Amino acid sequence: MNAIKNLFKSLFLLELIKGLRVTGRYLFDRKITVQYPDEKTPQSFRFRGRHAQRRYPNGEERCIACKLCEATCPAAAITIEVEQRDDGSRQTSRYEIDLTKCIFCGYCEESCPVDAIVETRVFEYCGENSNDLLMTKSDLLAFGDELEQQLNVDKLLDSPYR
Amino acid sequence: MSTHTSKPNAATILSEESRLKIDTWIVKYPTDQKQSAVMGALTIVQKANGGWLTTELMDAVADYLDMPPISVYEVATFYSMYELEPVGEHKLCVCTNVSCMLRGSEEIVDHLNKKLGVNLGETTDDNKFTLKEVECLGACGGAPMMQIEDEYHENLTPEKVDNILEKLENQ
Amino acid sequence: MVTIEIDGKSYQAQAGQKLIEVTEANGIDVPRFCYHKKLSIAASCRMCLVEVERAPKPMPACATPIMDGMKVFTRSTKALAAQKAVMEFLLINHPLDCPICDQGGECELQDIAVGYGNDTSNYQEAKRVVISKNLGPLIATEMTRCIHCTRCVRFSKEITGVPEMGDPGRGEHMKIGTYVEKNITSELSGNMIDICPVGALTSKPFRFSARAWEMQQHNTIAPHDSVGSNIAVHTRRNKVLRVVPRENEAINEVWISDRDRFSYEGLTANDRITSPMIKKDGTWKKVHWDTALAYAVDNLKQIDSKSVGALASPTATVEELFLLQKLMRGIGSNNIDHRLRQVDFSDQDQAPLFPYLGQAITDLENCEAALLIGSHLRKEQPILNHRLRKAGAKVAVFNPIDYEFNFPVAAKMVVAPNNWVSNLTGIAKALLGNGLIPTGMQKLLADSEVTEEQQAIAEALQTGEKRTVLLGNLATSHPQFATVRALAATIAKLSGARLGYLPEANNTTGAWLAGAVPHRKAGGEAVVEAGLDAYAMLSQNLKAYVLLGLEPELDSCTGSASCLEAADFVVSLTAYKTEAIENYADVILPISLFTETSGTYVNAEGLWQSFGGVVNPTGSTRPAWKVLRVLGNLFDIAEFDYVSSEQVRDEVQALVGDKKPSNTAGWQVPTCLENMASDGLQRITEMPIYSGDALVRRAEALQDTLDADVAGIHVNPTVAKQFNGSEQVQVNGASLPLVLDERVPDGCALIYAGQIAGTWHGNVEVS
Repeated sequence: MNAIKNLFKSLFLLELIKGLRVTGRYLFDRKITVQYPDEKTPQSFRFRGRHAQRRYPNGEERCIACKLCEATCPAAAITIEVEQRDDGSRQTSRYEIDLTKCIFCGYCEESCPVDAIVETRVFEYCGENSNDLLMTKSDLLAFGDELEQQLNVDKLLDSPYR
Repeated sequence: MSTHTSKPNAATILSEESRLKIDTWIVKYPTDQKQSAVMGALTIVQKANGGWLTTELMDAVADYLDMPPISVYEVATFYSMYELEPVGEHKLCVCTNVSCMLRGSEEIVDHLNKKLGVNLGETTDDNKFTLKEVECLGACGGAPMMQIEDEYHENLTPEKVDNILEKLENQ
Repeated sequence: MVTIEIDGKSYQAQAGQKLIEVTEANGIDVPRFCYHKKLSIAASCRMCLVEVERAPKPMPACATPIMDGMKVFTRSTKALAAQKAVMEFLLINHPLDCPICDQGGECELQDIAVGYGNDTSNYQEAKRVVISKNLGPLIATEMTRCIHCTRCVRFSKEITGVPEMGDPGRGEHMKIGTYVEKNITSELSGNMIDICPVGALTSKPFRFSARAWEMQQHNTIAPHDSVGSNIAVHTRRNKVLRVVPRENEAINEVWISDRDRFSYEGLTANDRITSPMIKKDGTWKKVHWDTALAYAVDNLKQIDSKSVGALASPTATVEELFLLQKLMRGIGSNNIDHRLRQVDFSDQDQAPLFPYLGQAITDLENCEAALLIGSHLRKEQPILNHRLRKAGAKVAVFNPIDYEFNFPVAAKMVVAPNNWVSNLTGIAKALLGNGLIPTGMQKLLADSEVTEEQQAIAEALQTGEKRTVLLGNLATSHPQFATVRALAATIAKLSGARLGYLPEANNTTGAWLAGAVPHRKAGGEAVVEAGLDAYAMLSQNLKAYVLLGLEPELDSCTGSASCLEAADFVVSLTAYKTEAIENYADVILPISLFTETSGTYVNAEGLWQSFGGVVNPTGSTRPAWKVLRVLGNLFDIAEFDYVSSEQVRDEVQALVGDKKPSNTAGWQVPTCLENMASDGLQRITEMPIYSGDALVRRAEALQDTLDADVAGIHVNPTVAKQFNGSEQVQVNGASLPLVLDERVPDGCALIYAGQIAGTWHGNVEVS
């Protein structure tokens, strides 16, 4: 009995029609494809992209070298060395994030007591060798300076939830 | 020429008179507990130095009583009657604790402020008076009160204060 | 014994114990800040509140004595509420700066706040701020973080014996500190860093260098004094970052001296040498190990072995010293020594197996009377000094300098070195009624007179049952050491005291056992023909020298390296390259320091303590025992194929067997008891606390302390008059600042070691 049923189905191309029905539905549906890179998908203000280090409005770097991000990083992508500045304050002498190790979990941002390390909305970056993806302190600070306005807006948007 | 470990020498820093007075305190205590005389000694030394104690004087007291200097500093900073900064000729200690406050010590303080032109904890420009706020001096029965030198002045009113100040001015 | 019930379980405890001691012993957690088992009880933090049945209020566990049948609840609602409330109070003025605080991650306050604290605080007002005072180069202060537990104050009063920390002010205005800005002078001050439960007192040299969770802990033994303090070295990425004490009740309790704690800075000194070098035609060249070793061996082979001398630092390990002596004896020379600061070797054959403390370190704590001969114990061996201080014994001192002690001194004599013999004779004479001594000695004593001071010392020494006579560094380096030792032994015998030595370095005892002496092989067996001692080697020009971890111009009491400069060939196994070494050495073989090698130290009581390497050797340095092993192989010496330091140690241990030192046996009676003649200004030399060995000399923070500030010629005001008030004095050709120092006796000048060339004793020429 079943064999007859299957024969009947394949004879009249029922499965094909079923499949084409799906195709047909999407053919006339609202299009969601984005023409990247000309078009971009909307991003959350909590988007976790490439890292940046922020400064206070007076230009002083925020990072106090507490090393919590280094400790919490599950991929061990962060390396920090500390030094005492001439004014006695605690500052990093080396702060590196290895983007090839980073898994973009956002724990570093979460753990930072002074909102120094942040993950920006930028996800488009590349390097020709792995060294290019090692972000040094100056890279991170420069990137932070570049994006400070956007970061401020994002932090403000996030603040009701914190 | 440098000198190795210069211990303060009580004999050269404290006057003979002060030392004799301290001795009268020392004899009141067992011989192996000379340090018990520290409060008396500091009072004597403070008086001899115009009402306040320098670190050097405290070191000398420590040396005289065979105590570590830090123990003398502890005593001198604990009690409010020891002054660690220069004070005026007369130290007016106004009580502002509960009983005195209820009986109008605030008014007395205001009056003194205006009259002397200084706030609490300050000394007049002519170095005559230092105004000081103190906690209860145990004379609540006569509140509001203030202590000047070794004397208690009780049941103060602004007029009474004026009289006292006048007397001190003319001394 | 009483029985108490804690959290429903019964425990047995000694009557009179405090509640917290019982919980501690049974592993029950009670939070606390101010309680410390080695300090008195303050009960000032109130964190250890627990509920006690029938007590109306929670009781502080640290100050509550136990009673039979007592029922205690440490985790009841009432106890927890009390602890939570106290925690909130403690945090009122504590800043929220954990991210920049060095204590973060190992902070008692942090831990307990998480465990017992509340999430939020009711306190909204401003927090107080305390401006920190500088306490010197070792301790960093941040007094705003202080929670007034007063552990440091009690430590300063009870443990260091020189109260420097206090709690001036009261109430909210109380500020723990020194009141006047001053450097902490105690040689145990670093322990305040450990006992501070918060980040108020932290280590200055370590400041900000790592977090607690990043470091690995390695156990090892301190390389400076003869106590052999147990330490833990904290490392990160193969770098030593700090040193902390390890608890060992029998040795260092929970403390270590600042020297042991901060000397690690020397490990990375700028003049550390990391590859072998040879000098050819006056210029230094970096070479491979093979080349350097072959060059050393080839040159040494050409020299008659009797004119080769080996000098070793007593800070080297047992293994290194053993291999060095085996190497020297293998090539046919007995010229090996580590006793660089000794001058008089005349009775060395009668010396005990090793300079033994005469008792266990813990015994010092129980002694009732002690006589210190030639010892600035506080600075020489801070931990032993602490033990003696704890004993509360009647201590008499016999010193060339009127040192300040941190315990009461029952009787003291300050005697110029040339008069030591007659004065010690006097003390012995005063004790003569007490017992039998060799007739030879009795005859010698017969003619002497006894002064009042000598009598006082003799009387102080006759207190109690347990007595001890201790010979310090200044006695060992005395030009009449043999006589001094014989007299000290006589005094000990007559007073029924134990005679003890306070060996200079961490492994002086190990050096004796390993045979690094010219007259004895490893295990103390006498050699047929004794070699030259250190003083002879450095004053007679030998043709070649082998140096192990040494800078003789600073380490030896000859105070010069002129013999080395004159020698044909000098091999220096050293971790550092200085100008002086460059001058006299021909080959430098870079060796590893104590954290980079495995080895064994033997402390003053004869305890062997082995340790492993903590970090990898710096650069291409090698542990000295490996270098010596290869040297031995190159010389084709039999039985030199060791594969581990343990193998070497086991061999030495087998040679020593169960031999025990005896400080009383076989004393040679001196032929006469005459003072040294002296007509000019006598030099007294003390090795400053932070100059004793190559490592500590390079510890920067220690060199900034007051104890390291020793420049100048110290004389008392009477002697100073002869200089007519001039600031600088010419001493043996060098110019030294004049320092007035009332501790120095007449006719003497105290010049700390390492400042001028020339021997440590005898007359100095001044102008």
